[in-house]
Amino acid sequence: MFIQQLVNGLTLGGVYALIAVGYTMVYGIIELINFAHGEIYMLGAFLAFTFVTMLNLPFPLAVLLSISCCALFGVILEFIAYRPLRKAPRLAALITAIGASLFLQNVALMIWGGRMKTYPKGTIPEIFKSALFYMGDVKVSLLQYDIISITIFLMFCLHILITQTKIGTAMRACAQDKTTASLMGINVNRVISFTFAVGSGLGAVAGIIVGVYYNAIFPMMGYTAGVKAFAAAVLGGIGNIPGAMFGGFVLGIAESYGAGYLSSGYRDGIAYAIMILVIIFRPSGILGRKTVVKV
Amino acid sequence: MGKLRNLKWFVLFSALALVFAFAIAGCQEKPAEPTTPEEAATDEPVADEAAGPIKIGLAAPMSGDAAAYGEIIRNGAMMKIDEINEAGGINGRMLELVVGDERCDPKEAAAVAQNFASNEDIIAVLGHVCSSATLAAIPYYDEAGLPAISPTATNVEVGRSSEYMFRNVFTDDFQGRFMAKYAKEVLGVEKVGVFHENNDYAIGLKEAFVAAAEEIGLEVVGVEAYVADTVDFAPQLSKFKELAPDAIFIAGYYQQGGLILAQAETLGLDVQFMGADGLNNPELINIAKDAAEGFMASSPLVYEAAGKEALEFKKAFEEKYGLTPDWMAANAYDAIGMMVVAIEKCGADRAAITECLAGMTTPETGYVGIAGITIFDENGDCSKPVFVSEVKDGEFIAAEKQILD
Repeated sequence: MFIQQLVNGLTLGGVYALIAVGYTMVYGIIELINFAHGEIYMLGAFLAFTFVTMLNLPFPLAVLLSISCCALFGVILEFIAYRPLRKAPRLAALITAIGASLFLQNVALMIWGGRMKTYPKGTIPEIFKSALFYMGDVKVSLLQYDIISITIFLMFCLHILITQTKIGTAMRACAQDKTTASLMGINVNRVISFTFAVGSGLGAVAGIIVGVYYNAIFPMMGYTAGVKAFAAAVLGGIGNIPGAMFGGFVLGIAESYGAGYLSSGYRDGIAYAIMILVIIFRPSGILGRKTVVKV
Repeated sequence: MGKLRNLKWFVLFSALALVFAFAIAGCQEKPAEPTTPEEAATDEPVADEAAGPIKIGLAAPMSGDAAAYGEIIRNGAMMKIDEINEAGGINGRMLELVVGDERCDPKEAAAVAQNFASNEDIIAVLGHVCSSATLAAIPYYDEAGLPAISPTATNVEVGRSSEYMFRNVFTDDFQGRFMAKYAKEVLGVEKVGVFHENNDYAIGLKEAFVAAAEEIGLEVVGVEAYVADTVDFAPQLSKFKELAPDAIFIAGYYQQGGLILAQAETLGLDVQFMGADGLNNPELINIAKDAAEGFMASSPLVYEAAGKEALEFKKAFEEKYGLTPDWMAANAYDAIGMMVVAIEKCGADRAAITECLAGMTTPETGYVGIAGITIFDENGDCSKPVFVSEVKDGEFIAAEKQILD
């Protein structure tokens, strides 16, 4: 069971990590906790589902389209809800974020209804579901394996993007000091929009993965996942991308082991207790430094 | 510049004030209409109150996680209401449903209950759906003397705690014990695991099941819990795999139930899964797909076994809403039917309806609906036959063996 729980935890953690990265990037750059990020994740799942079932698009195309829509949506969200408040006290932006989150939940409820949606048979390539391999008594599905590898691959791409490219350099510059960065000729607004696009795109990937893996899509799915991912981001040190990934995996594994060996009713409690302990004893998070290098 | 801005605000403000003024004037015109002589003349002298529509409150989750339940219950209730209205209403008065959205949340439920209680026009309530919400709402109905029929709240406490709360669904106590007995006696299960959600409904069910299992010598090897909104059940299911029970009893709702069945299959956990009324919904099969085959659940109603009228209802419902009705739709339909009988017999006010419903205590006075006969006991609870249904070929059908409790 030990290894089985590790596999379960890594799968869960991969999803948390993907969402947490979106949180952490936005926080890193504008110090805003984007509570609507969970809803972008939800929209990602719903859009892919809608493209596949209503428009009968092939799955890979639906995925790409959904990711692009969510990236665009993240940019629009920032433009409408956060940009006008950039100079306002941080509390105002936080409240807007919560408002945006509730708004999007209810819009999704109006459009898609409260029923749980599932992909009908035959709409998702069978290879995702049927292929399984065993390691002794431990059963790993191809999809579980995929989730973990997709997460690691995307994180790697993100790392390259941030450390090796021009826009990545600009992002790091803005994260350190927006005013100075703009004096150096960086278009800060464009960098922030780009950050939202990338973070939202990754959130959409997580949503699509969860939609396929658990085959359960519903308007409230963003809330719990969002809070968990937020905990993961804090755990790893908010503003720190490897930290968010690490935090996601730690949280997923802690949840699995907590549910497996302690009482399962306290599973979320265990996850949050870890977060509280980390905040008390290491406020900057596990991988965070005192002077956090953001983004 | 400053002056100009002030001017702009002034203009905007004035415009808004004008709009509001018109809106208020517009609103005031409406109530004045019914006093025209023709309208007043058509008032039947028999009706002592204003002969508007008879208003019935519906307290159900129309948004939030449980919105799907609210939808099906509203549809079930509307089927009956449309039927009555098309036939000319009750003594010429139409029925009207006033929907209060309580999201299955006790806090919201209390607010909706308060709202209904203070609205004199509402003479009876259909609801609430979730046990937790029902328990939170009861004090308000008690205070206002407003009768309510819950089509779905199964927690044991619901009936006991109020003389105004009725329900046409059996209690958790009853179905929990029933399923334990069914597992042991019919299915020959010896070791059983219990998986439950952390809420009033599922905990009540779990406790009844575990207590009965101990009584009849069914070994409970493990009890695991989950919270609402969970989509990942792999850790708990892995634990069950280790414990190796013959069967697992799920106490909760179909969304999570469906996911549990699907994930159990992925993990290679191959045992008999069972559940109660909360999992007895066609949507469960939609979610779990092939993994739902062989799943068994207790149910207040299996349409195929309930007779001609039930089947007709099912067909009409499918045509009207494009959805397969579950047992909840039938209970909502019957609950409205009971109110209609009470209004016809005793009159359209709160006290009369309560008295009439409380009088439905014998097979002669009980209400015969599509889900069988409903007879209330002194708590306002009813005892209804329990059916066991099984998923076969992607459909809930009556299980081969039924037992009478």
